Amino acid sequence: MHDRLMLGKYYPGKSIMHRLDPRTKLILLILLMVTLLIPKTILPILLLFIGSVGLIIISKIPLKEILSSLRSIMFILVFAFLINLFSGKGPIILDLGILKITQDGLLNAILMSVRLILLVIDTTLFLTLTTTPLQLSHALENLLKPLSVIRFPAHEIAMMMSIALRFVPTLFEETDKIMKAQSSRGANYDVGGFFNKIKGYISIIVPLFISCFRRADELANAMEARCYHGGKGRTKLNELRYTTLDLLFSLIFIICCVIILFTHYQMPNLI
Amino acid sequence: MPFLKEQILKRTQTFNHTESSSYPGSDDSLILADNVSFAYPASDGSSSDIVALKNVSIKINKGKHVAILGRNGSGKSTLAKLINALEIPDQGKVIVFGHDTSDKSSLWSVRQACGMVFQNPDNQIVGTTVEEDVAFGPENLGVPSDDIRCRVDRSLSRVGLEQYALKAPSQLSGGQKQKLAIAGILAMQPDCVILDEATSMLDPKSAKDFLKLIKELQQEFSMTVVEITHDIENAVTADYIYIMQQGEIFFSGTPREVFTRPDKVLSAGLDLPQHLYINYLFQNSFSHEALESLHEKHPDDIFTPEETVDAMFELQNIASPQTITSPAKKYSYSNQTLISVEKLSYTYQKGTEFAVDALKEVSFQVEQGEMIAIVGHSGSGKSTLISHLNGLFVPQTGQVEVMNLNTRNKKNIREIRKFLGLLFQYPEHQLFENTVYEDIAFGPKQFGFSESEIEKNIKQAIDIVGLSQDILQRSPFELSGGQQRRVAIAGVLATDCEIFVLDEPAAGLDPIGQQEIINYIMHLQKLRKTVILVTHDMKLAARADRILVLNEGSVAAYDTAENIFSNQKILTAAGLEVPPAYKFARLISEKFSCEIDGYTAEDVNYNLLKHLNNRRQSNA
Repeated sequence: MHDRLMLGKYYPGKSIMHRLDPRTKLILLILLMVTLLIPKTILPILLLFIGSVGLIIISKIPLKEILSSLRSIMFILVFAFLINLFSGKGPIILDLGILKITQDGLLNAILMSVRLILLVIDTTLFLTLTTTPLQLSHALENLLKPLSVIRFPAHEIAMMMSIALRFVPTLFEETDKIMKAQSSRGANYDVGGFFNKIKGYISIIVPLFISCFRRADELANAMEARCYHGGKGRTKLNELRYTTLDLLFSLIFIICCVIILFTHYQMPNLI
Repeated sequence: MPFLKEQILKRTQTFNHTESSSYPGSDDSLILADNVSFAYPASDGSSSDIVALKNVSIKINKGKHVAILGRNGSGKSTLAKLINALEIPDQGKVIVFGHDTSDKSSLWSVRQACGMVFQNPDNQIVGTTVEEDVAFGPENLGVPSDDIRCRVDRSLSRVGLEQYALKAPSQLSGGQKQKLAIAGILAMQPDCVILDEATSMLDPKSAKDFLKLIKELQQEFSMTVVEITHDIENAVTADYIYIMQQGEIFFSGTPREVFTRPDKVLSAGLDLPQHLYINYLFQNSFSHEALESLHEKHPDDIFTPEETVDAMFELQNIASPQTITSPAKKYSYSNQTLISVEKLSYTYQKGTEFAVDALKEVSFQVEQGEMIAIVGHSGSGKSTLISHLNGLFVPQTGQVEVMNLNTRNKKNIREIRKFLGLLFQYPEHQLFENTVYEDIAFGPKQFGFSESEIEKNIKQAIDIVGLSQDILQRSPFELSGGQQRRVAIAGVLATDCEIFVLDEPAAGLDPIGQQEIINYIMHLQKLRKTVILVTHDMKLAARADRILVLNEGSVAAYDTAENIFSNQKILTAAGLEVPPAYKFARLISEKFSCEIDGYTAEDVNYNLLKHLNNRRQSNA
């Protein structure tokens, strides 16, 4: 049930993409997004496309898994494609009365779609498919650590994230249990007027809330009993470490991005 | 596990302990509570504080296994929290292996030394993976990464979870989750482990495994074990027992010292081990004089089953029993079929790689007025089966008919749920209304009862569960756990069903609470209602007319208690145990050279007395 909520699921593996430090992946992803958003011509986007295919190949993740992440943005994709398709200027290819498809419009629509697709594919590739949520929260905690000077609660936020992740399945199970219990008492969630439905959902939400508070209370006790006292002086089982792989990968990655941006700025007229 | 112990000690030694080490009578080898009192601040702020502990003194030697017994709300868990420094005493002192818990600087050494396993397996797991969770404690202690890895691997393999290291905790069973909690504590290299009703949410087999693991660890690391429990049969194996009542130590002693005073144990609202309870019932059937002369001839401290059966034999040689009270008789039931399940199969996530067969061709029938117990270990399909009975699940294959209404027909569902009240485990978690009255009325209202009917039904329901009228206008969330359970049960009673399906109705309650639940069930039987009971408790199952044994989703047996408990093959296959009373009955049969049967203490006692009387009469 909860799988539907996630944008993509972690795909276990030992590829280069999996072995990169999550911090490297986060930073490089930001660079990649910038590179994706600036150019609007064919050549840099073609290069980006080739680059992304390269990333998919080295990640060793089946194409099916990667493409399934596009399902959630299908609507936006089609919408953006159509808007661009009908709003171009220049020579008309097809005249449909009020709507006219132009050469520019078609090109723009295709480029726009490719950019959107690449954006989603690269993000899921970097963040969800090859990185566990836990690694991600560690990376965030680590990258935001310098901000603790201005009392930014980096550790607390990361801890909250990982506890939330830990309890997602538990709370889904609990919701299911409560729904079954209330249904057995005659609660009905499908029929009746608006008011009846709301009333039905209250019978789930109230026990769920109470259970969350109880769990939170007990978990706080359990954490304290295991000597939890905030992020100070805390070590990690899997300490994040940059390796030569990170260095090499980052170098190649940055050079590629620079080349792509160069083609955009220096050869704007080259289609 | 000597690794890194020095390092932790070094860390802790940098703190100042002058006060604690000079504390009279304390040394590093024991846990000491000296005249401790503790009160929780009142939740509404206006009334006085809620006293949880009054002048409690205990002394636990290193490496010993100590059991703390008492009713719910007697202060046991509070005492555990004081030992772990989760709470600091208002008065008196708690000294843990030389550290005063009120000394802030020794807080982390106390908590490192005393690991704690809580009741609810889910609410103590922090990590998103099994190994992350084990690492949580050492991470907090600031242990270097490499050493954490070493500790995590050792702890996981010690409790036998190494193959789950990278799995999400939600993929573990309840028993495995509690073992994970133990691994998390082991990784902190503790001297003591506190179990706060740690087995009460596990099935008997997992509980047994868990306690076996604890015993091994106790011997391996000469670890101190403080066990808070309702499980009398396990408390018997402790080195020392404290019994608490209303925040005070009621009395204490070795198991032999404690259980040779049955009156006192029962007056604290606790159970006796079954053989001692049978002896207690047996002795009560004899005159005062007979017992006096037994005391003169026979040693007084009977504790083991063998000693008990000897004393019982001696007693019947001295005198003959005076009174025989017959135990509650079973009610006859008509042979009108109420529930009929035919070739029911169900597979979770059917058609995917995660497919699990929960039920396989299950067929059985339930007659009007019958009491059925459904038994089987966790994951044997019990919950899936009962969810089919009121149409929460529609059969994938096979049929379920309740009062001749098929659950496949959507129009029947409402009617079925009106006739068949289903109460899941921990039903108090389903309460949600503003007042107890409204909550109990929720079901009847949904089923279209009139206001006056509802009022009448509620009055009857709260009478059965023993709640007072004035509780009706209070919020259900102000009540104690036991009271909430009764409100939830009243909620199903108030719908005036024909069939009651109860999933572990007594789970998590203390012995008196459990007895009350049994009384409600017996009351329903008296009203000729049909009861289906899902339970792990063989003592309870033995009271049923028929027992349905589920094993791996299939019906292993569906027969009377007599036929099932005498068939060792079925029991072993389904991982079940005979009720302890039945085991003791075998011992009695041997000693008295006769055939005594019975699955509850009352039955065994009655059958024995009846046999003795018959023998006397035929001799005369």
